[in-house]
Amino acid sequence: MSEVRPMTEVRPILELENVTMTFGGLRAVDGLSLTVFEGEIVGLIGPNGAGKTTVFNCVTQFYKQYEGLIRLTKDDGAVDLRDVPVTQVVRHGITRTFQNLDLVPDLSIEDNVLVGAHTRFQTGVLSHLLRTPRARSEEKEMRDRAGEVLDFLGIAHLKDLYVAGQPYGILKKVEIARSLMAEPRLIILDEPAAGLNDQETKALDALIYQIRERYRTTVLLIEHNMALVMNVCDRVCAINFGRFLAMGAPVTIQRNPQVQEAYLGKDEHL
Amino acid sequence: MNRRLTAQPCGTSILAAIGRRPLLQFALLAAALLVIAVLPHLGLMRFSTMSIYAYTAIYTVVALGMNILLGFSGLISLGTAGFIGAGALGMGVFLRMGLPFEAAALVVLAISGSVGALIGLFSLKVESIYLAIATLFVGEILRQVYTSVPIFGGEFIRIGAVRLFGVFELNQILQVERSILYAVIVGILFISMVLMHHLVKSRTGRALMAMSRSEHAAQAMGVSLLKYRLIAFVTATLYATAGGILYALYFQSAPTRAWTLNVSLLVIAMVVVGGFKSIVGTFLGAIIIYGLPNLLLKDLLGDISYVFSGALIILVILFYPRGFVYVGHDLRRVVSTLRARARRAP
Ligand SMILES: Nc1ncnc2c1ncn2[C@@H]1O[C@H](COP(=O)(O)OP(=O)(O)OP(=O)(O)O)[C@@H](O)[C@H]1O
Ligand SMILES: [Mg+2]
Repeated sequence: MSEVRPMTEVRPILELENVTMTFGGLRAVDGLSLTVFEGEIVGLIGPNGAGKTTVFNCVTQFYKQYEGLIRLTKDDGAVDLRDVPVTQVVRHGITRTFQNLDLVPDLSIEDNVLVGAHTRFQTGVLSHLLRTPRARSEEKEMRDRAGEVLDFLGIAHLKDLYVAGQPYGILKKVEIARSLMAEPRLIILDEPAAGLNDQETKALDALIYQIRERYRTTVLLIEHNMALVMNVCDRVCAINFGRFLAMGAPVTIQRNPQVQEAYLGKDEHL
Repeated sequence: MNRRLTAQPCGTSILAAIGRRPLLQFALLAAALLVIAVLPHLGLMRFSTMSIYAYTAIYTVVALGMNILLGFSGLISLGTAGFIGAGALGMGVFLRMGLPFEAAALVVLAISGSVGALIGLFSLKVESIYLAIATLFVGEILRQVYTSVPIFGGEFIRIGAVRLFGVFELNQILQVERSILYAVIVGILFISMVLMHHLVKSRTGRALMAMSRSEHAAQAMGVSLLKYRLIAFVTATLYATAGGILYALYFQSAPTRAWTLNVSLLVIAMVVVGGFKSIVGTFLGAIIIYGLPNLLLKDLLGDISYVFSGALIILVILFYPRGFVYVGHDLRRVVSTLRARARRAP
């Protein structure tokens, strides 16, 4: 089994049991089972169209019609995520980034990041309309936190710029910053390195480690960049045509004949 | 160039300093409008001209609500006129029942707001063009109700002098009191601007924008589409109704036939021409679409002046899709580029 395990006690945070998701006749995810332990960095790999993003969409409840079970373990017990509306998933400590970036182009970088703090606010519409002292201090507090997160990601100096027109590498970081603002226990990254240049990808290794250390989160990521996966992941799960292929330490997965075969003839490399 | 596009105007000139202080902008605007209250008494302006400014201010309040919908939330309503009518006629009905002005206003806002909430609920089911058609029918139904239900008094409801806070009786027939009424309307316009500014620069405003521009991320971050569509529609409805209440306050009579689709379209045009998401721009839009034709062109061109608004809307959509208020912004950019180039030249 897996050689590398989280440093602390071994407790599952996210479990998928026999998850199947079909679109018409296509089984995009096919009987997938997978466990992520607390504090781990787990990679989900597979060729294009293997169903990786679909898995994420099921976990974050954008898709509800999946078969099987997706369970989140929290301090106060386990939750069947299917019972959680998509907009409540974040309150259970799961946030995500999007493969095709989903930001507000005509808001500043800072304001985009603040969208991630949505559930952290206590004040509502009326206090916002009147800008009560409470609303004001809360806004300031959140802005300070956004400043810290942006600083951590090294883009604090860009906070007042609009998102529209920013390079890809910056936008990816804005997405990560937005997710971190929600104080997640599990952060799900859909291809964080896609579109980044070599230098940016190298920096991402360290960044993902730091995210885990500094924000005490578990990380589940989809990635095509094998160097990144090999460097940062504690364990890797490979899928193809929605089906489980293998799971284990990055090296074992890389050497796995089935996994190699899945990538054969594709223009991607292990 | 694009990377220089900051959310905050920068620079040290007085204009840039004002640009950074929206509340100061609103205050300056209100102060300028207040001067108009005095001009007729000095013989520098006709009283009927002051009424055009009053109507422009009222339209601005309504259009601010439309900007919440259209500019911030990516939603549309073609039923706005129905809610302005609800404000004006509702005030007529409740004032005649003997309710104090403020109480009548609260009742009218509550009723209208509830209908707005219903439309918000409905908007979850239908998108874009279908939402436009659905709200169009809401507006038409309201118009039918106003013209055919006897309680609204047929042609119009005469309201007559109103008493504010139970003490200040104001009659628009008297010149001094009409100026005071005008000042009250400008005051409420100012408050509407401040409240809207507060709202859009808050968690609520960000959620509205995220809902319309990055729906999936918004949901993943916990933004309930239902809740924020409701907020958008209720706010827009309340602003439209407030406009109607101001109409009743200033003109002290409420027509039943005036609340047509045409009015709703003018309000949309004000947002489009003035500037999406811009509060000062919304006022500009009201001036351009309603004020200018009535202040200047009507004397020169007669009814054809309305062709002007139509042509203007088309021009703006073609060349200034973000709205007129950004002309200044873009001009500033052109000037600074030219300056930079001039400096670089040998
Ligand atoms: N909403 C949808 N409707 C229909 N088919 C879909 C939908 N989403 C995904 N699919 C299909 O399901 C399969 C898996 O898609 P998915 O996006 O999960 O792949 P992926 O592993 O993330 O691929 P990539 O590496 O290209 O991002 C593909 O065949 C895709 O066409
Ligand atoms: Mg994908």
